[in-house]
Amino acid sequence: AMVENSPAPLPERAIYGFALFLGSWFSFILYLIWAYIPESWLFSLGLTYWPQKYWAVALPTYLLVTIGIGYILLFGINMMSTAPLNSTDTVTDNYAKKQQQKTFQEEAIPALRDIPISEVNRMFFLPEK
Amino acid sequence: EELRYRSASGAPLALRRLQHSASCRELAVRAPRLRLRSLSTATSAAWLAAYGLFVLSENSMVLSAAIFITLIGLIIYLHFVKIDQESLLVIGSLGIQVTSSYASGKESTTFIEMSQVKDVVINEAIHMQKVIYYLCILLQDPGNPQGVSEVVPLFQSSKPRLDCLIEVYKSCQEILEQRKTAPQSS
Repeated sequence: AMVENSPAPLPERAIYGFALFLGSWFSFILYLIWAYIPESWLFSLGLTYWPQKYWAVALPTYLLVTIGIGYILLFGINMMSTAPLNSTDTVTDNYAKKQQQKTFQEEAIPALRDIPISEVNRMFFLPEK
Repeated sequence: EELRYRSASGAPLALRRLQHSASCRELAVRAPRLRLRSLSTATSAAWLAAYGLFVLSENSMVLSAAIFITLIGLIIYLHFVKIDQESLLVIGSLGIQVTSSYASGKESTTFIEMSQVKDVVINEAIHMQKVIYYLCILLQDPGNPQGVSEVVPLFQSSKPRLDCLIEVYKSCQEILEQRKTAPQSS
């Protein structure tokens, strides 16, 4: 039988979840020990090879500033990617230029195609004669 | 005659249609002129702020700089930014002329030959977190009869809404249709 992707609980998922839970708690307690316990106490225990405590404050700050800038950056990238009003991308694209004319069959649903903007305008804005 | 409409941001506009002859039409969209009231409030606010800075810094150059900047800024605004009227002159079999008249009296015109004009259409596009309708001239691609080489947007500073654009579109289409019925001799 085909393997189905379902979000139901499974024994493997329970084990992964518990391992992540323990790992994240361990990392958090380790981070607090590194940031708050004075260096002299840690040295007296024999644990001397730690990164500078400066990074305990610097890394979270870097992360938060990056997230804040990310919001603004995404907004800006979106605005830059929007086609300006004078570009032909607002009217057509490569798929529309290369489409082939399909023959019209009676009593069949017409094939999907890109209708030129002149035709659309005439249909919308000029009254039927 | 003049018809009243609104711009995309809600400002009042006036559309004037003139029929010069059977194949020549002029359509002009007029924006409201710079009001004395708003000019006075802006100038007073700028000069009060400059006076406040002068009181804090005891430097009289702040006052002269404020006067200078206000005058230069007003001249630049009237000559390069504030467009009072945008007009479209469609002459069948000759071309289309687009004119922008600035508040200082300067006029800048662009002329497009009729052979280059494929069509005048109302297009919708995303502009500054809004979707707006705007009138544009589609220029013919010389290699491909179905293709569009360039899009020339019109009424960029007044940005009229769809009801005004439909009136302009209908007037232009009446002239452009004459191209098909009267084949060109050149």
